[in-house]
Amino acid sequence: MINSVRLKPLNWRPHIAPVEVSEATPEQLDAMKVTPSAKKVSEYVRTLVHDPESYVARTLLFNAIMYVEGGLARPDRELGALGASIVNGCKFCAVVHARRHAELTKSDYLVTALYLDKPETLAPRDVAIYRFARRLSATPSEATEEDIASLRSVGMDDIEIIDLIHAISIFGWANRLMHVLGHAESGK
Amino acid sequence: MIDAMDKAAGLSPDDAVFSARRFRPEFVDGAELCRLSVLQPKSDQGLAQGLRVALAHRMAALNADQALIAEYGAQLAVLDPTEEVLALARGATDLDEPLATIARHVDLITLAPIQADAKDIAKLTEAGLDNPQIVALSELIAFVNFQTRVATGLRLMRSA
Repeated sequence: MINSVRLKPLNWRPHIAPVEVSEATPEQLDAMKVTPSAKKVSEYVRTLVHDPESYVARTLLFNAIMYVEGGLARPDRELGALGASIVNGCKFCAVVHARRHAELTKSDYLVTALYLDKPETLAPRDVAIYRFARRLSATPSEATEEDIASLRSVGMDDIEIIDLIHAISIFGWANRLMHVLGHAESGK
Repeated sequence: MIDAMDKAAGLSPDDAVFSARRFRPEFVDGAELCRLSVLQPKSDQGLAQGLRVALAHRMAALNADQALIAEYGAQLAVLDPTEEVLALARGATDLDEPLATIARHVDLITLAPIQADAKDIAKLTEAGLDNPQIVALSELIAFVNFQTRVATGLRLMRSA
């Protein structure tokens, strides 16, 4: 019997050669906001900066969706991200956002329940969020008006639901980059 | 002002969801800038706008998103597409290279990203795409799959 699951972080490695900082164009350098510690720019950033315009636009939107003040609580955004990442098969994203959920809530309860595939043991709010995240992430979407009604019934207002839709949807995006352009490896 | 996401979601200024969406100007403006960055980029990396809109139409169809199918179909029509690009937009698989490989990749990553692995990227390289094109294509695929989900969620909120 496992009482509590703790996930170890994974490393991400690209399938294509990332941009070398020494060979980057001015636009790519600007996009990476290269600092004196340029060697620390991650392989993920250096891979995506092959197309600097979309990299900058997406990064700004991603950060707003996941970190903007007010509205939906941070752990709920992480749960939306996690549900999407599980459906889309992005192991790297799933581990990152499961760990972040555990850090923010100071609890491994949710990660343990999902790891053991027992979502029915979650609190009603978490069940409603997780189910909606999974159903909206299918192609085509399987989400319904009943899912929205469930979110409202656990006390979520329109602004929180819009925040959640964006958190799930931006992982429909991020998962299709991280799981497609690279793969996860166990940490050292 | 109604933007592309409102249009896709069928929202008008007198809808409560339209107003609630404006609580997050970062999301509204950010999604629009992202749309432009993948569909009308300043530098297209050799992936022409017609090809991009055709692929967006193809992905809207895979997502069964009627509003976005209509929108991308209308956008494509004014770009004077070739027969080959029209076939790509309509979901054909018997295409010349590199369109056949691009179409296969777009379908896989839209429908079942969980199945993607390194071989799928290698196929794009073999079809002649360079790394900036592989990344630009990946961002386009990912954006349309973001857009259909936000639009779907907003539509459900409006009708629920």
